[in-house]
Parts: sequence; C-alpha cells; structure tokens
Amino acid sequence: METSHSHHLEIHSNSYLVKIKPEIKLISFFFIILSIAFLSLENNLTTIIQAVIVLSLLKVSKLKFNTYLKRLSIDIPFILFALFLPFVSKGNGEILTSLFNISIYKTGVNEMTSILIKITLCVTLAIILTATTSNIEIIYGLQKLKVSPLLVSIFSFAIRYIDVFIDEVKRVRVSMRSRGYSEKGFRTLKPLAFASGALLIRGYERGERVYNSMISRGFKGTLELKEREFKSSKLILLVSIFSIAVSTLDWFIT
Amino acid sequence: MSDNYLNINNLSFEYPDGHEALKNINLNLSNGERLGVLGPNGAGKTTLILHLNGILGELKGNIQLNQVSYTEDNISKIRKSVGLVFQDPDDQLFMPTVLEDVMFGPKNFGFSEEQVEANSMKALEQVRMLEFIDKPPHHLSFGQKRKIAIASVLASEPELLVLDEPSSNLDPASRRELIDILKNLKVSIILVTHDLPMALEICNRSIILNNGQITADADTYKILKDSKVMEENRLELPFGFALHHLEE
Repeated sequence: METSHSHHLEIHSNSYLVKIKPEIKLISFFFIILSIAFLSLENNLTTIIQAVIVLSLLKVSKLKFNTYLKRLSIDIPFILFALFLPFVSKGNGEILTSLFNISIYKTGVNEMTSILIKITLCVTLAIILTATTSNIEIIYGLQKLKVSPLLVSIFSFAIRYIDVFIDEVKRVRVSMRSRGYSEKGFRTLKPLAFASGALLIRGYERGERVYNSMISRGFKGTLELKEREFKSSKLILLVSIFSIAVSTLDWFIT
Repeated sequence: MSDNYLNINNLSFEYPDGHEALKNINLNLSNGERLGVLGPNGAGKTTLILHLNGILGELKGNIQLNQVSYTEDNISKIRKSVGLVFQDPDDQLFMPTVLEDVMFGPKNFGFSEEQVEANSMKALEQVRMLEFIDKPPHHLSFGQKRKIAIASVLASEPELLVLDEPSSNLDPASRRELIDILKNLKVSIILVTHDLPMALEICNRSIILNNGQITADADTYKILKDSKVMEENRLELPFGFALHHLEE
C-alpha cells in the first residue's frame, strides 16, 4: 500500500521562513493578507510598498521562480473573472472608452486592477507559506494559536488520510479500467457514481475503525502534538506590523 | 502464573442488524499465556477481541481481567491493560509523526511526560523502529506500519497484547521479524490469525472460533494435527507444511 504524497507542497530549504515558529508565521501572514485586502489602491506608494513586502518574502523563501510561476497558475480563474469586469461592472455608468462598440466602464477597470493586484499578492503569500511550512507545522501552529481542538483534529485527520483516500481512489480506477471501463460519455457516469458511493462508505467505515483504535488507547477528545523547536520569529512579526501600518496610513491618506 | 488472568463467562453479542456474532463464549487465560484464536472468516474473532477492549458497548455475559470487571468505571484501566493491535495499521496510525503516534496512548492514560517519552522510545526499540521516529506514518511500508502499530500499543505497558491478523499482507522477511518480536515480548498474547504456522510458533494453546462459538480449545499442535477438527472448521495448513517433524 504505497502512498502518493501528492499534496505535499513544502520545499526543503534553509530559508529563514522555514525555521521560524509556525504560529507566528501563520498569524503574520494572516495580518499581511488582511492589510493587502484593505488597501484602497488609490495611493501608488502604499501599494508598491505592500508589493515590495510580498516580493521580499518571496525572495527570502528561496522558492525557485519557475515553481512559483507554476503554483501561481491557481490565480488564473480569478484573472479570467477580473478581465470581464471592465465590460460588465457599470458602477455609476461612467464610460472610460469603447472597444468595437463595447463600452469599457471605469468602475469595472478599477475593480479589475484591484482584484488582479490583491489576488496575485495574496496568492503569492499563500504559496510562500505552503512552500516554507509543512502540513504538520501548520497543524502545530494552529494548536499553538488555540484554534478549537476539534478543528485541529479535523485538519490533522484530513492531512493524514488524504493519501490513503487518494490511493484507494486510484486502486478503484485501476480495477475498473482493468475490466474494460473507460470514462467516456454520459453512460459511464453510473459506475463512477457507484464507485464513489463505495468509497464514501469505506471512508465512513474507516472512520469508525480509526475511532475504535483511538478509544482503545484511551482517547478522551483531544489530540496533542509534541513540542517542537523553532528559531526566533520577531522579524516576520515586525514585517506584518509594518504591513498593517502601511495599510492604516493608506486608509488615512485616502 | 495466575490461572485466572482473563475470565470470559457466557459472552454473547448480537449486532444491530440481528447477526449473532458471539454465542455463549467461555474462556480463561493465564497470566503470561499466549493464546491463538483461529477460525474461518466471519467466525466472530474480531468481535471477540473488540470486546476485550470494551469497545462494543454493553456486555451480555461477563468479562474479568485480573479480577477487574468490565464496567464503565473500570474501562479506562482495562484499556490500558489490554493493548489492541488492529488489522489495518492505517486505522491505527493517525498522528503526523511516528513518535507522536506511539506517544498517543501513554499520554491519554496519564503517564508522566518523562515516562511517555521513555516508554515510547523503549517500545520503538522493541520493534526495531527507532530510526523512524520523525517520519510521517503514511510514508512507511506496510510492514513498518505494522511494527509501529505494535509499538503504539506497547508504549502504554499493556499486560495483555491482542493482535488481529498481524501477519496479513507481510512479506516473508517482515513476517519472520514480527514473529521474533512477538516471541520476545514478556506479556500475555491473544493472537487472532489465519497464519497457522505462526500460531503454532507463538502460541502453546489455541481456540477455534466458528459461527460465534468455541469449537476447539487445546494445544495448538494437537488442533493443527487433528484433520477432522481442521476440516470441520474450514482450516487448512499451507501446502508443503508438515507437522510430523515438529515435536509435540
């Protein structure tokens, strides 16, 4: 029963961001994302400063540019959505220009720019976070931040069993194909539906067995991860405070 | 060696769908004894061992472990004393790293922090898996996962180790390693298995469970030699395996 490890995003490096406390990293990134989300974008300087903060973090993360670009492709649906906005989002009806008799609205253009900049910066931060933090560290960080133990347990189980589930899905697909099944056309959906149902029931039954194994080892409702050692994380905290200050300044100026 | 370490009296169990999995089971186990539980698929073997850990709820009948009855008040003590190793190690290993999984049991049972650490390291050493402490369990091979599952139970210092099909899906070398590990453990063992040579090697005594009832309770060698009992209970020795050269 070999596993796929298909969802692992962290990349081993000796970056500063890899070594710091995950709870501080999580909270700092959360605040930087929040300050970017609240940028008005009317002031170029504050926008550029926030972009510089994000790009500096990208540099510090030692993430290869190619890998970054590949992962940034998750941004594409948002970009496509944003590109439509100048044509459909009328706002107060002010027309910027016309292209082949199609009006381009000023509000739409503003919204497009806002989405493109903010989403790209926020997705970049998410990419940096996942590349420099292992799944276990994220769970550990959430536990340290006193997130509900139930939620932490759910995340922890999801991470632990996603590989097991993906392997099961793969085995079922192989067994279907080995008996001549091919996923073509509407009619082939029926066996797929049955297979999904079987996987769901198997998942439920596994859940019961896991729970049995937990209570047989005295489980009383909380999962605790062992203490881990990390380097001082003051710098990233300062960066996030600076980011908040920039957005606050931006808010006052506009 | 106490003769009455584990006493099961008139134990019956019916699943909610009406299937009667256990019918009036009576069984005694001495302290330090190793008992094989043999029988065909669907005989009630797994149901029986889940009862030993008080997992299936209210009992119809009576079980006592070291003269402690299986009641709601005693269940935590019972679970600490009875270490249950499940058939599929993926059901048992759910923590992010091997060490955290092994520490899970003793932490829950209220061991001190130093003791949790010491017991976990000792258990991992017993199953020869010390070098894997920081690995995530799902990155290990099936045989390695099985050994970690055993360590995760040993860390709570159980008096009785119950294993459900421990040799299933193991390659011959991993199976041999597992047998050696089990033979060196100083605890009572209940071994549920279809691997009859393994039962013969580890357990002096075996029972056969068929259709929810104990149909044989004797020396493992005698059971395996009795072709009539074997056939009646859908059991068969592996091809080429001969008993005649083994001493009774």
